[in-house]
Amino acid sequence: MSADTAVRPAPATGRRVPVHLPAFWLLLVLLAAGAAKVTLLLHGLFARYPAATVTAVALFALYAVPFWLFVTALDYLEREPPLLLAAAFAWGALVATAAAIPGATAAHNLVAKLTSPRYAAAWGSAVVGPTVEEVLKALGIVVIVLVARAQVNSVLDGVVYGALVGLGFQVVENIVYAVNAVALAGNGDRVGPVVATFFLRGFLAGLWSHALFGALAGAGIGYAVISARRRRSTRIAVAALALCGAWLCHFVWNSPVLVDGVGWGPYGVLLVLLLKGVPPLVGILLLVRVAREREADYYAAHLAELDDPEISTEGERRALSVGKLRSDARQYAYTSAGLRAGHAVRRLQRAQARLAVELSRAHDCADAGCADAACTEGAQGCRSPWVDRWRAEVLDQRARLRVLGHPEAVPPQPRPRDWRRWAGPAAGALALLLAWAAIRALGGS
Amino acid sequence: MGVGRRLGNLLGSAGVLAAVASIAFGLPAVDRAIPAGRPVPAGEPYEIGGGVTLVPPAGALLDVTKSRPGPDRGTALFLIGAVRCAVVAAPFTGTLEEAAARLRDKITATRGYQVTGREADVRTQSGLVGRQGGYTAPGRGGRYAVYLAGPVVVEVTISGTDLELRDVLRTIEESITTIARTGTPSPARAGP
Repeated sequence: MSADTAVRPAPATGRRVPVHLPAFWLLLVLLAAGAAKVTLLLHGLFARYPAATVTAVALFALYAVPFWLFVTALDYLEREPPLLLAAAFAWGALVATAAAIPGATAAHNLVAKLTSPRYAAAWGSAVVGPTVEEVLKALGIVVIVLVARAQVNSVLDGVVYGALVGLGFQVVENIVYAVNAVALAGNGDRVGPVVATFFLRGFLAGLWSHALFGALAGAGIGYAVISARRRRSTRIAVAALALCGAWLCHFVWNSPVLVDGVGWGPYGVLLVLLLKGVPPLVGILLLVRVAREREADYYAAHLAELDDPEISTEGERRALSVGKLRSDARQYAYTSAGLRAGHAVRRLQRAQARLAVELSRAHDCADAGCADAACTEGAQGCRSPWVDRWRAEVLDQRARLRVLGHPEAVPPQPRPRDWRRWAGPAAGALALLLAWAAIRALGGS
Repeated sequence: MGVGRRLGNLLGSAGVLAAVASIAFGLPAVDRAIPAGRPVPAGEPYEIGGGVTLVPPAGALLDVTKSRPGPDRGTALFLIGAVRCAVVAAPFTGTLEEAAARLRDKITATRGYQVTGREADVRTQSGLVGRQGGYTAPGRGGRYAVYLAGPVVVEVTISGTDLELRDVLRTIEESITTIARTGTPSPARAGP
């Protein structure tokens, strides 16, 4: 995939509510039906276990916030419309769960009828879970494409929408599992099993769960959408391959293989959880990284074409493409020139990102003979008023930074063997160990 | 947008709707069309799960959709005509009285279900001790029994109309006395 086909910028006029599209009404109707069904389900749980249900909803709603922020921040340069992001999340939370409950139950039954209760008990979840759930989640991404095809303009966009569909599914499924754990415990309306489920499914299983599988399927669909120059069969094959990958990751995670922890007790179980979960997590994060770099390169090239250090320097363009480098640049400005410099760097980065996107749109607009309503033909070719607006904002923030004595928004030079490089993985490992200890303390297994 | 693209959007939407409907309604319809009852070998112990076994009542069918034998827990539903006999084995750390109280709570949690009479002490052929009682519900009635088998509790609930129960209750009670525990439960797991 060349840089030309890695990204296809959304037209500035593509954010109207598409009431003329059948897919828009399909989405609305299915969301309403799913909302009704999930509300009934939660109402039934609340009637029997009010404290446990409220606790589960609150815990998993809070749990979704950092996931949401992380996923949406992946696509910093060209942010997706919030309504579309919410629609993706809602599809997973309402439509996919509402359809998966009867579908998965029936599929489980069919597995038992066609094989045996023993096989169904052992392998039913591994076979049925991915088959029903991954398909339903992938359909959510397809609906997003049908509703707003112009907004899915890179593989990364597919990742973002897929991850959010998966996150929505994950949240509602976890709430149901948590309250079911209370029912299984048989000790009345207690929150203990909810908290244990929160640690177990939220932390030990949460990092490599539906959001991850959905991201992989979304990457394939994103590729199929943007690769207009490829043959249709190739695009469909890539999307199908990504969906199969999501299915396989889900299957491996649900499979009963090594479920007893290779005979090493709880530590063996933890090891198996990591063995099943970490490889897909690392693989999909690498895929996301490649997709993000391709998108960043595409937009950074438009900034670089201006060849104006007042607009962006090479170091700033490099920092713009990676969340950690952006954050480091803000932190560096804050420590070396104060809070106002930190804020100015944040605004400069946002303005540079918006300018890059508008430049790419104007470029596409020129290719189309300035036919888009959002750009006009002038003395210097196609011109969008948004380009001028964001260029002015960039220059404004640059001037502010210059006054503050910190003219360039770049991260500090990395020091050799900087311990902070290991802070993230170490914090992740510590969180897993703490979650494991908490589950053991709460009596979970 | 051209007519062609709008038609494509319509066809795509119809495809999505068909796929969602086939999962939400189609799969359950296929499931309902295939009977769930399977004959079980007469006189042979059936493994409920969690190392617990039981010799099913003569002529009983096993509802394979409601039966899930597992290493640490399990369920089995036997159908004897219109009478249902559900057996659940699960890890438990309390006393027999606590287990009996928990089962009573489960039964009476369903609207209209009431426990009747006093419980009696019972014992299986393998020496497991338990408690047994009866309950009523609108148009139905039944028996329940609970046994402690080491770290596992075994709950049995039998339900049917009075007429149906009268014909098969003795057979089922004989079956219940064959409950035994033969294995050691192993830990459960978590998954998406």
